[in-house]
Amino acid sequence: MPSVLLTESLALELGDRTGNSIPAHEPWPQDVKLFQPYEVEQILLPDNANCLAVQTFLKMCGLDFEVEQRSNAEYMSPSGRVPFIKCGAFLIAELDPIISFVNNKGISLSDKMDNAQKADMRAYMSLVNTVLANAELYITWCDKTTLQEVTKPRFGSVLPWPLNHVIVWQKRSQVVKKLGVLGWAHKTLDEVYQEVENCCNALSVRLGNQPYFFGDRPTELDALVFGHLFTILTTPLPNNRFASIVRGYSNLIDLCKLVEKEYFERTAES
Amino acid sequence: MGTVHAKDKREPYPHDTEQQQIHLDGVKVRVDKINVDGLSRTKDDIIIATVKDLFQAKDFQEVILCAQKVRGKLEGLGCFRNIGIFIDTSSGPGATPEGLEVTFHVRELKRIVGGVNTLVGNNEGSLAVGMRMPNLFGRGEKLHTEYSYGAKKTSAFTVSYTKPLRGSLSPIITGTVFQAGSEWPWSGYKQIERGLLIDFGFNSAPWIRHNLQWEGAWRDVSCLTRSAAFQVREQTGPSLKSSVRHILLLDRRDTAILPSSGSLVKLTQELAGLGGDVGFFKNDLCLQGNWTLLPDMVLQATLQAGFLTRISNNLNVSICDQFFLGGPMSLRGFNTRGVGPHKDGNALGASAYWAGGLHLFTPLPFNPGKGGFGDLFRTHIFINAGNLGNVYLGQEIPTSLKAYTKTTRLSYGMGVTLRLGQMARVELNYCIPVLFQREDQPNPGVQYGIGIHFL
Repeated sequence: MPSVLLTESLALELGDRTGNSIPAHEPWPQDVKLFQPYEVEQILLPDNANCLAVQTFLKMCGLDFEVEQRSNAEYMSPSGRVPFIKCGAFLIAELDPIISFVNNKGISLSDKMDNAQKADMRAYMSLVNTVLANAELYITWCDKTTLQEVTKPRFGSVLPWPLNHVIVWQKRSQVVKKLGVLGWAHKTLDEVYQEVENCCNALSVRLGNQPYFFGDRPTELDALVFGHLFTILTTPLPNNRFASIVRGYSNLIDLCKLVEKEYFERTAES
Repeated sequence: MGTVHAKDKREPYPHDTEQQQIHLDGVKVRVDKINVDGLSRTKDDIIIATVKDLFQAKDFQEVILCAQKVRGKLEGLGCFRNIGIFIDTSSGPGATPEGLEVTFHVRELKRIVGGVNTLVGNNEGSLAVGMRMPNLFGRGEKLHTEYSYGAKKTSAFTVSYTKPLRGSLSPIITGTVFQAGSEWPWSGYKQIERGLLIDFGFNSAPWIRHNLQWEGAWRDVSCLTRSAAFQVREQTGPSLKSSVRHILLLDRRDTAILPSSGSLVKLTQELAGLGGDVGFFKNDLCLQGNWTLLPDMVLQATLQAGFLTRISNNLNVSICDQFFLGGPMSLRGFNTRGVGPHKDGNALGASAYWAGGLHLFTPLPFNPGKGGFGDLFRTHIFINAGNLGNVYLGQEIPTSLKAYTKTTRLSYGMGVTLRLGQMARVELNYCIPVLFQREDQPNPGVQYGIGIHFL
């Protein structure tokens, strides 16, 4: 009897997987939507970088999607972070889960790469995710001038008084707590800029003279780096030292220009 | 002495007849003095204002009736535990020949009263820890705090301050700070509400109570599970409601739970959108009538209806403002919130509803435990009807109303109800839904409900 039960439960699990989990061979649907906060008046530097990275990744894969801007995108997201995509009945939030979701459909930017390159790419992506993303959070929420002049007005723009003050304060304490756990909260601004400098240096060395990080074809790493660097370069902040550090690396700037030309200007024309 | 002699001659039982003959309203008296004994922190001015009507009494009957009335008023102040009345002829300097002296013996409530109790709310039990500070500043003010934790993981916190004002309309001002969390698995969301409520209550006629309220509430709606319907997900996030409300209540029922006679009218109007980002105008009406047809056989008819309309395109209406229908305490024979628009199994609510119920309550068959435990039980047969849907104002009224009338839901059944104290009631019913729509979630069979407000 136990063996029969086991087979049954296995069959059930398999059935579940095919029934509920990501359908492997289903084509990319037409009505995929990417949800993010309002770009002009609401979105903040770290969120904008993540949203742009996901958009770039989907465009690099040649997948159609529509951007939907919602003031409550962050609350709608199943993980509490933006962006998230709605693909049929599935909701997938943030870049990494979206990458694996797309991979499950048989679409990948890195399938031609060998294992060593893949591991290399993963390492650099994790570098960007830890250093640049945390530096963006630090500038946005811990730097007093940026917090007062940029973060508060933008984050509170979609909220009625007095919630705009209360929720900004709530969100700030969440971010500070998170940075504290990661050991970033007690850094000085100069230390943060130094980290960014180191990260950009490492990326610049890896890129060298190639058009993309791994040769002629863009990868997930290119999408991620573009998302962060382009946002850093184009977001006006009271203190633009962040952008000027990035500007010091001409090959990274070239990468941004290339990705923008290939994937964003073309769609703007059509 | 002469009178005694005369009485003896006239009647064999002088004592009895004398008692019958005395008309209390014929005894002219004057209230010279009122003593209130046992006051320590209650302020004199409110006591004087409460008892001074007694000086108007002209004869002994008036004195007794008036003293009872004053006792009721003193109890109403919420400062005293028990009140005794003592009437004597007045003596001492300044006493008039027909003078009386009325003494109220009072015992003040303790400064601080606390308790742990279990509550039965609408379909949920919870544990509450409360503390009350009655008569805080000596004029009937009351500070009340309560924390409760529910069986369905809802937690709530309230601090309220009540101050009775002087005047014939018995006005009371209450300010409340609250936090309440609730989960609505039928709609796939949970909600945390924090806010401030200011209430001004007064009577416009002896039985008619008005409450004027302002409420500012910060509501945080979030999805309960990953599988919540996208239409619910779209409405998540914080919102701020600032609204004024008027509640009119006319309650002539003999008791709130399982009444045998009397009627209830409750009309609530709420206008949201004075600040905040939520705006609507909401009307809610509840009518109930009770008639005793035969001894112990009570017919109850209830009608509820509500309508919500947006007031501006810039202001939102959240899912937590909508009306819902269905469930053991609402339209029986359906799941909780089981009537009306659904998406992926989640009730979305709608802007208009009506529901009616006709119940016939009788004692248990063969009346076991009559005069005691058995009196807590009633059997009832019922028929419930109602509808929930979106009604739009303007040109679409005829079409939306037509659709509305065509889709009435109906159920009937019978069951047993149990009265829990004077507050709550438990019902166990067998229900048969008769008319329902495709999107509904009918629930034929046994249904169990516990709560305060029933249809």
